[in-house]
Order: sequence, then C-alpha cells, then structure tokens
Amino acid sequence: MVGDTANLTRELGLRLLRKLREIRQFEERIIPLYPTDVMVTPVHLHIGQEAVPVGVCDHLRPKDLLFFGHRTHGPALAKGLDMNRLMAELFGRTTGCANSFGGSMHLVDPDNGMLGSSALVGGGIALGVGAALAAKLEKRDQFCVSWFGDGAVDSGAFWESLNFAALKAVPVMFVCEDNGLSNVMEKKDHMFADITEVAGHFMEVWRADGTDVHSVWSAAGQALRHIRESGKPAFLWCRTKRWMKHQGVETDDLECNPVDREKDCPIKKLEKAMKARNLASDKELDEITQGIEAQLNAALEFAKKSPFPTEDLLMTEV
Amino acid sequence: MPWSRFDQTSTATLDALPASANRRVISFKDAMREAIDQAMNNDPRVFAIGLDADDKFGVFGSMLNLSHPERVIGTPVSENAMTGVALGAALNGMRPIYIHLRVDFMLLAMDQIANYIAKWRYMTRGKVKVPIVIRTVIGRGWGCGAQHSQTLGGMFAHFPGLKVVMPSDPYEAKGLFLAAVKDDWPVIFIEHRWLYKNTGAVPEEMYVLPVGKGRVVCPGKQLTLVATSLAVVDSLNAISKHELDVELIDPRWLKPLDEDLILNSVRKTGRLLVIDYDFPACGFAAEVCAMVAEKGSQFLKSPVQRMTFPDCPMPASGVLEKAYYPNADKIAERIRGILNGS
Ligand SMILES: Cc1ncc(C[n+]2csc(CCOP(=O)(O)OP(=O)(O)O)c2C)c(N)n1
Ligand SMILES: [Mg+2]
Repeated sequence: MVGDTANLTRELGLRLLRKLREIRQFEERIIPLYPTDVMVTPVHLHIGQEAVPVGVCDHLRPKDLLFFGHRTHGPALAKGLDMNRLMAELFGRTTGCANSFGGSMHLVDPDNGMLGSSALVGGGIALGVGAALAAKLEKRDQFCVSWFGDGAVDSGAFWESLNFAALKAVPVMFVCEDNGLSNVMEKKDHMFADITEVAGHFMEVWRADGTDVHSVWSAAGQALRHIRESGKPAFLWCRTKRWMKHQGVETDDLECNPVDREKDCPIKKLEKAMKARNLASDKELDEITQGIEAQLNAALEFAKKSPFPTEDLLMTEV
Repeated sequence: MPWSRFDQTSTATLDALPASANRRVISFKDAMREAIDQAMNNDPRVFAIGLDADDKFGVFGSMLNLSHPERVIGTPVSENAMTGVALGAALNGMRPIYIHLRVDFMLLAMDQIANYIAKWRYMTRGKVKVPIVIRTVIGRGWGCGAQHSQTLGGMFAHFPGLKVVMPSDPYEAKGLFLAAVKDDWPVIFIEHRWLYKNTGAVPEEMYVLPVGKGRVVCPGKQLTLVATSLAVVDSLNAISKHELDVELIDPRWLKPLDEDLILNSVRKTGRLLVIDYDFPACGFAAEVCAMVAEKGSQFLKSPVQRMTFPDCPMPASGVLEKAYYPNADKIAERIRGILNGS
C-alpha cells in the first residue's frame, strides 16, 4: 500500500478534507429526505468510500475525463460537479446537470470532464479507454480515467478493456474502487482471482488504502506520473468499505461487511493526522463543516424551487 | 466458390446519377473505399477501428491502401468493449468508424450499441454528441449458415437513438456513407456484400445524400414496392424481366423513415408490398406495413403485404438456401399475385 501522512501539508490536507466532507454531508443530507420521495431515483451512496474519488480527482484538471458507473455522487462531486446541479438532478428538475433526463445514475458535466455515466456494470470501463485513445491520437495533454467497482471486474468488458489498453499502449488510468461487495455478494463469491495480480499481467498496478485519502492521493499521483512518462496505462486499486446498503439510504447490515466507523472513516483519519501535526484547529474544521451545511441548504432550496420538465421535452434529443 | 470473394453478384446495373454529373463508373467496394478515404482526409477526427480493420484483406477491399493507415486501428476479438472504446473516443471529440465483417458479430456489442450509444445523447440531454458510424457487412450463400447470414437492420432500428441505413448501389453507398460520417448521431451502416462488385457512376468529389430521405428508383402505377439494399437490385430485375408497372421505392434509411415518400406513392398506386431481406417478426417490413395501414389506409385498394425471410434461421444446404431466400422471380410472382387479387 502506498501512503504516508508524514509529508501531508496543511494546504493539501484542507483541500482534501473539504472534498471528503462535501461528499459525506451531501449524502447524509439525502438520508432523511429520501424516504419522503422528493427524490424519485435510485441512489447509491458513497459514505465511507469518499477517500477514493477525492484522492484521485485532486490530481485531475477540468479537462481530464472521468468515466464512472452507477455510484455517481462521490466521483461527480470530487470531479467538480456543482452541488446545486446534482441536487436538482436528484429532484428531477430541469436545472439538474442532465436537465432531469439522467437521474442519480446518469450525470453529465462536460465543463468538468464528465461526459456521462452508465448504470450498467462493466461497459463503462471501455469508455475511458476510448477517450484515452482519442487523447493519444490527437496528442493531447489530457488524463482519462475509467472508474469501476470490484463487481465490474467480473465482466467481459473489464478484460477486453485491459487487454486492449495494454496491447495498444493506451494511456488510461483504471481505478478499481474495491468495497469488497457487488450488491450483497461478497468478493470471494464473485471473483475467483486476485484483482491486482491479474491486472499486473497487463500493466503497472498501484495499491492504496481506500479508507485513507492520503494513501489514495499518493498512489494516484504516482500512477498518473507513470502514465504521463511511459504513455502506457496504469491500474490503481483502492480497498475501501461501503457503509450503506448497496442502494438506498439504509446502513449496511451484511455480516461479511463489518464496518468500524471510527477506524474505517476517511474523514476521521485525515482530521486526526492533521491535528496531530497541528495542521488545522478544531475551529477551522468546524468552519468547513458549517460552510458545507450552508451550501447544502442553498442546494436544497435551489432544487426545490426549480421547475420540473414539461411534456414537450419528451421526444427531444432522440 | 470461396465465400469471401464476391463472385455471386447481381447483374442489374443501377444508375441513379443525374445525367449532368461526372460519369466515372466504379464498383460498390471502390465507392466505399473512396468514401472512407475522403472522410479521413477531410477530417482528422475520423478514424477506423474494428477487428480486421487493418488486415491485409482490408475489409473485403473496402479499406485497402488508405491515405491514413495510422488512423486505422485493429482490435482483438472484443466487440463489446471495443464498441465502448469507439464511444469513448467519440465523446472525447473523435468521429469513429467501427467496422464489422459480419453483422452477427455486432450482437456481442449490443450492450454498448443499445444501452450506451443509442441512449447517451438522450440521457445527457444532448450535452454530448455521439458521432459514430458502425459499418457492418451482411451476406449469405455458399453454406454460410445461420450465424453468418443475418441482416438485423430492423432490430437496430428498434432502438430510439440509432439511425440505420442500407445502401443499394455505388453512388448511394458513397453519398450515404459520407452523410453518416458527417452526422452527429450514431448511424448503423449495413452493406450487402453481394453488392460489392456491382458498378455504377460515382462522382469523384465528396457529396452527401440526405439523412432520412428515400428515393423513387423507378416510377409505376399499379403497386408500391418498398425495398432496401440487395432487395432493390432484385426488385429492379423483377420489374424489368417481368415488365411490371410498379413504383420501386428505396427508403435508404430504415430510420429515420421517409414516410411521406412511401405514403405519396401508395396514394397513387393503392397497393403496398415491402421486400425486407430480414426476419419477419417485429421487423422493418412489419413497421412499414403498419405505418401505411395507420396513415394511408384510405388509399389502399388491397391489404398491405410483405415478403421477408421465413421465420427460421438460415440453413446451410444450397437446396434449402434456395427455398429460404427471396429473389427476383419470387418477387415478381408475389406482385402478380397481388395485382391479380389472389
Ligand atoms: C450489466 C449489469 N448487471 C447487473 C447490474 C445490477 N447491479 C447494479 S450495481 C451491481 C454491483 C456492482 O458492484 P461493483 O461494481 O463492485 O460496484 P459498487 O456497487 O460496489 O460500487 C450490480 C450487480 C447492472 N447494473 N448492470
Ligand atoms: Mg463493489
């Protein structure tokens, strides 16, 4: 595993913490609202896994592309999607990032490097490869990232994508956010092989602790440097923990998925490391939390006030 | 007779070109090759990808000696993810041409085609566009059997978000292909390999034929005959050999369908026969018949009719192939039957 918080700076720590908290607080805001059906769209929460999107996306510029799957809120917020537009999309309003046509699983924000997301497991892995192929053909300075869970590794598209990227030296970063679960199926019941071992036959692999944002951040930085220097693909594997049920807003209760909300918490880990080195005070941390709460109040207000689509839009863009 | 050569071509000469245009005569295959080469020369974002895209056979000769071999990318036998690669490249600013030597192989890519490519623009509210052309060759005969002889045009047209086009001669092939490459929507471009050796006049310069517009191949009064691709050739042969007074319409595009062209013809003739070299159930012929029954029933002197493959897979034996496939004589017989009221 990569990562050592000894060289964590104040500036980096605060930036990462802010993003971790944005995702956590956004998701926590949804929890009490969801049962009231103000959002009618299947949500896959990112609580507990925030370190992975935040650690990866801190390296990415708006022009760098991120292709992710059904568990969208974490990667999308980390990559820069505006909270108002995410909230409005969940509320099914025209001010949402996909003008209400996507819902939680299909977010889009071209200005921030998100060209759409897929709810079908596996196939989306190929999109990042294709985007990276385009960047290579056009000799562009642009990172392209394929994002997926451990369940997607079962799919043919995963193997086809790794093979092609390695064969043709496509400069893509594969990020496997491994929460050890495919819906309610434990990893040992859905994947025979060790993911990093098999990926290692195709390309360089970085392993990170996906509950520790600094570990993910360090590994992602190294993997991206490798891609830039070698022109080859790289594989980043992050072992993380899913705190909530696969879909919806209830706490997970699977026996095979024990979670320690103290030890497994990316936010607590980072705050502890920062305070231990006097990089931030309690007051500062509290200000971050309160700032995000205010932003969320505004986002909810924005979503609720926004219009629903009108029926005349039904047959457009088709 | 090796089935990878195009010895079994039809004898019809198609000449849809205006008299004023350049009269250079080339084959369907060369028209395709020229269109691909010009598309790539014209726009550096155009590239070709697919299994065998870069091999020495050059996709039945249609991709040999292109000016930009560096933009021709061969792939492993990974149709599904490779179609996703084409989509990712399209989203990131390229204009990919995906190539399949057989439409049957495309079924492995249906996740990407039906779930991703067809829906991406709608799901993203047009914030991203999907300018992909998926070329596929179809064919039959010489014992190719059930897994190498399908057409499936109607199945692709079933999915909202896809356009489907089936050219019938060299002039059409070039103009429709360049239209497909220029279009900001995904287009499924289906080429019958029995057309590959057919020749016709084709202008050297680039030109595009309109999206969603068909053509009247030959005018007639007694019946409207709708056909695409190879069925246009067989229909023309039927008409000339049996001296039939029918109007042959080539809609070119299964989707978007030129409904007005077909309805205007039925208004005149009062009869409709759709020839579709594809499976019958829920297919293109059924769609055209339903459209005319819904929107043009007041013109009809007799019920709408269709002629398709039988509702079973393709046999390998030559004897059964003969029974399976429609041809000019069978088309003529069917038309006679309708005109005689039987
Ligand atoms: C092709 C396909 N099959 C099945 C599903 C149903 N499904 C949705 S999410 C999921 C599990 C995915 O697990 P993983 O890839 O590890 O992602 P995670 O949910 O853990 O983030 C499944 C099976 C689907 N969406 N797509
Ligand atoms: Mg998982």
